[in-house]
Amino acid sequence: MQSYKMTIGHLYPDLLNLYGDRGNIIALQKRCAWRGIDAQVKEFKLNDDIDFSSLDIVFLGGGSDREQLLVCNRLKEIKNDIHTFVDNGGVLVAICGGYQLLGHYYKLKNETIEGLSVLDIYTEMGDKRLIGNVVIECNFTGNPFYVVGFENHGGRTYINGHTPLGTIKYGYGNNGEDALEGVIYKNVIGTYLHGPLFPKNPALTDHILAMALKKAYPDSFDQLQPLDDSLENNAREYMIKRLL
Amino acid sequence: MKYIRRLAAIWAAKAAIILGKLMGKKSSSSPGIVALKIYPDILKDLSSKVKKEIIVVCGTNGKTTTNNMLYSLLAANHFRVVCNHVGANMLEGIVTAFIQSADFWGGLEADYACLEVDEASTVKVFEHFTPSKIVITNLFRDQLDRYGEIDITIKLLEKALAKAPNAELILNGDDPLTARFGWNSSRKCYFYGVAQDVNIALNETKEGRFCTFCGESLKYNYYHYSQLGDYLCPSCGFKRPDLDFRAINVHLANNLQFEIEHDGSITSLNVSYKGFYNIYNILASFSTAVLLGVSSDSMNKVFEQYKPQIGRMETFDLGKPVILNLSKNPAGFNQAISAVLQDKRTKDIMIVINDNAQDGRDISWIWDVDFERLLAPDIKSYIASGIRKDDVALRLKYAEIDTKLFTTETDIKKAIIDLVNRNGDVCYILVNYTALFNTQSILKKLEKSKEWRMENAKL
Repeated sequence: MQSYKMTIGHLYPDLLNLYGDRGNIIALQKRCAWRGIDAQVKEFKLNDDIDFSSLDIVFLGGGSDREQLLVCNRLKEIKNDIHTFVDNGGVLVAICGGYQLLGHYYKLKNETIEGLSVLDIYTEMGDKRLIGNVVIECNFTGNPFYVVGFENHGGRTYINGHTPLGTIKYGYGNNGEDALEGVIYKNVIGTYLHGPLFPKNPALTDHILAMALKKAYPDSFDQLQPLDDSLENNAREYMIKRLL
Repeated sequence: MKYIRRLAAIWAAKAAIILGKLMGKKSSSSPGIVALKIYPDILKDLSSKVKKEIIVVCGTNGKTTTNNMLYSLLAANHFRVVCNHVGANMLEGIVTAFIQSADFWGGLEADYACLEVDEASTVKVFEHFTPSKIVITNLFRDQLDRYGEIDITIKLLEKALAKAPNAELILNGDDPLTARFGWNSSRKCYFYGVAQDVNIALNETKEGRFCTFCGESLKYNYYHYSQLGDYLCPSCGFKRPDLDFRAINVHLANNLQFEIEHDGSITSLNVSYKGFYNIYNILASFSTAVLLGVSSDSMNKVFEQYKPQIGRMETFDLGKPVILNLSKNPAGFNQAISAVLQDKRTKDIMIVINDNAQDGRDISWIWDVDFERLLAPDIKSYIASGIRKDDVALRLKYAEIDTKLFTTETDIKKAIIDLVNRNGDVCYILVNYTALFNTQSILKKLEKSKEWRMENAKL
C-alpha cells in the first residue's frame, strides 16, 4: 500500500485560538496517524511567508476582535495566494472569525471590515451574540448525517447562492433566521461551529481528509480506512439526544 | 418607613439563611434576592456602616482563596470583617454576606469588608458601594459563553473601575492582562509578582501574550504559566511594572517556601499546601493586608493555618488519600495537572465535567488543557464522569491515552467507589464548578460511612 503524506497549515494559532479549536488540529492529525498517514502540522506566525502549494489543508480559526483585525490585515496582503489555493481545489477550513473573513465584508456598528471575497457571503453585526449548542444536518455527501457543535458569534452571516454546510436542527447557525449553517464551496468549508468541531464529528473530519488526499493523490487514493469511532459517536449522540 | 423596610429585609433574609441551612444548602444567593426585593438600598445601607475600608477581590482564578486569606489575616488581628467566604460572588451573594454579619436590628459592627466579586458583576455591585481597594488576581479564559471573549471582561472591569476612581489597585504584575489596569494610571497602584524564573513553564495556550495596548507579541524574559511572567512589549514599551511585593527564593519541592520582599524588608513564608498558583494568592492577600497596615510578622502563622476552601486540593481518607481539586478553566486545569504530576506516588485519576449554566455551557476549553501530560507511567487509570463524561473520554483518547485504561461512569458515587478500589497509592479527582459541591459531599459521606469498602458498598 502506498504511504500517504499530508501537510496541514495552521494559520496564526497564536492569534486565532479561541474555544478549543486546537482540538480540530489534534483530530485531523490523529485520524491520519491512526491510519498510517504521515501528517505534519505547520504553524504559521503572522508575518511568516506561506507556500500554499506545499499545504494540503489550511486551517483558519477564530479569535477575539482585536486579534482578528490583525489577521485580516495580513490576509489581505496574501489574498491572491489564498484565491489561487482555493481555485486549485485546496482544502480550506475556516471557523467563526476565519469564516467571516472569507466573505466580502463584516459590517460593525461604526466600521466595515473588508474580507477576502473567497466566498460570496457577507456578515453584519447583530444585537446580541448567538451562543449555544448546535445540531445541523449535513447532506453534501448524499448520505445525510448530523454534526454537533457550539456557536458563539455576534455576526449574522448571509450566504447568498452558496450551499450551506448543513441545515439547523437546533441552535442559530449563520444568522438565526434562515436555518442554514456554514458554507461548503469547492473544497472550502466555512462554519460557526466550535466544540471543537472535528473530534466529535468524525464523518465530517474524514470527509475533509478524503478531499485533501484525493487532491494530493488523484490516481491512487480511493477511500479512508475505517476507524473505531465508538467514543466519538457516544459524545456526539449524547448531545443529539439531549437537544433534539 | 425606611427603617421598617430595612428590618423586614433583614429578618426575611435571615430567615431564608436559616431555612437554607436546615435544607443543607452550602452557598446561597437567595437570602440576598429576598432582601433586595424588600429593600433595594439594603446593601448601600449596610455597607455604609463599615468603619474602615471595603476591599474587593476579582479576577478569574484564585479570588475565593485570596479573599479568604485576606479575611484570615484581618481576623487574626482582631478586626471584625464582613466576608463572602463561600464564593457567592454576585450582587445577591454579597448582600447575603452583609446580612449574615448584621444584627437583628440592622446594626453592623465591622471594621472591614473583604468581598470577592465576579468580574461581570462589578459594575452592578459598585452601584451600591465604592471600594477603597480593588485586587485583581489574573484574567484567564473562563466561562466563555457567558462573557464572550476576554476583551469583554477587560471592558467590563474598566467600566467598573471608572465607577471607583479613587480606589487603589493591587494588581498581579506578572499578568499583562491585569497589570494593564495600572499602566500609566493616575491612581495609586501596587503590583505583586514572582521575581525570578522558577522553571515551571508549560507549552499551553497563552491568552494575552500580545500587548493589549498595541497588539505586538510580548517578549518574555521568563514566564511561569499561561501568560504570567516577566514580559515586555518591544513596540510600545508596555512591560511588567516594577514590583512592590516581590516573591523571591522560591522553593516548590515539598512545601511552598519563599520570601516576599517589600520596601526593603523580607518576610519568609513556608506553608504545607501545594500549587505554585498559591504563591499568587498569598502575595495578593499579603500585599493588601500590609497596605491596610497589618504587620507582616505573624502572617506566616496565618497562612500556614489557612485551610484551603472546599475542593482546593482538599484531601479525604478513603482507605488512601483522595485529593479533590476544582479545575474549571484551562489555566486552572493545567496547574492542577502540574500538581498531580509533582506527586510521585502511583495514582488513579477521575475527571468530572458538567456543563450547567454556572460552568459555562461550552466545554470546548477541555481541548486547551494539556491532557497529553496525563499520559504518565505513575498514572494507572482514569475515570471520566459528570454530565459531559463522553467528551472527557474523547479528549483522553485524542491525548493518546490507552482506551483500555479509562472508563466512564455518570454516577459520581459509583465512580468514586470504583476509583478508590483501584491499585494506585493515591487518587485525584479534578472537577469543574457545579460538580464540586456534589462530589465533595459524597466524599465526606463516604469517608465517614466507610461505604467505599466494596463489602460495605450499597450501590
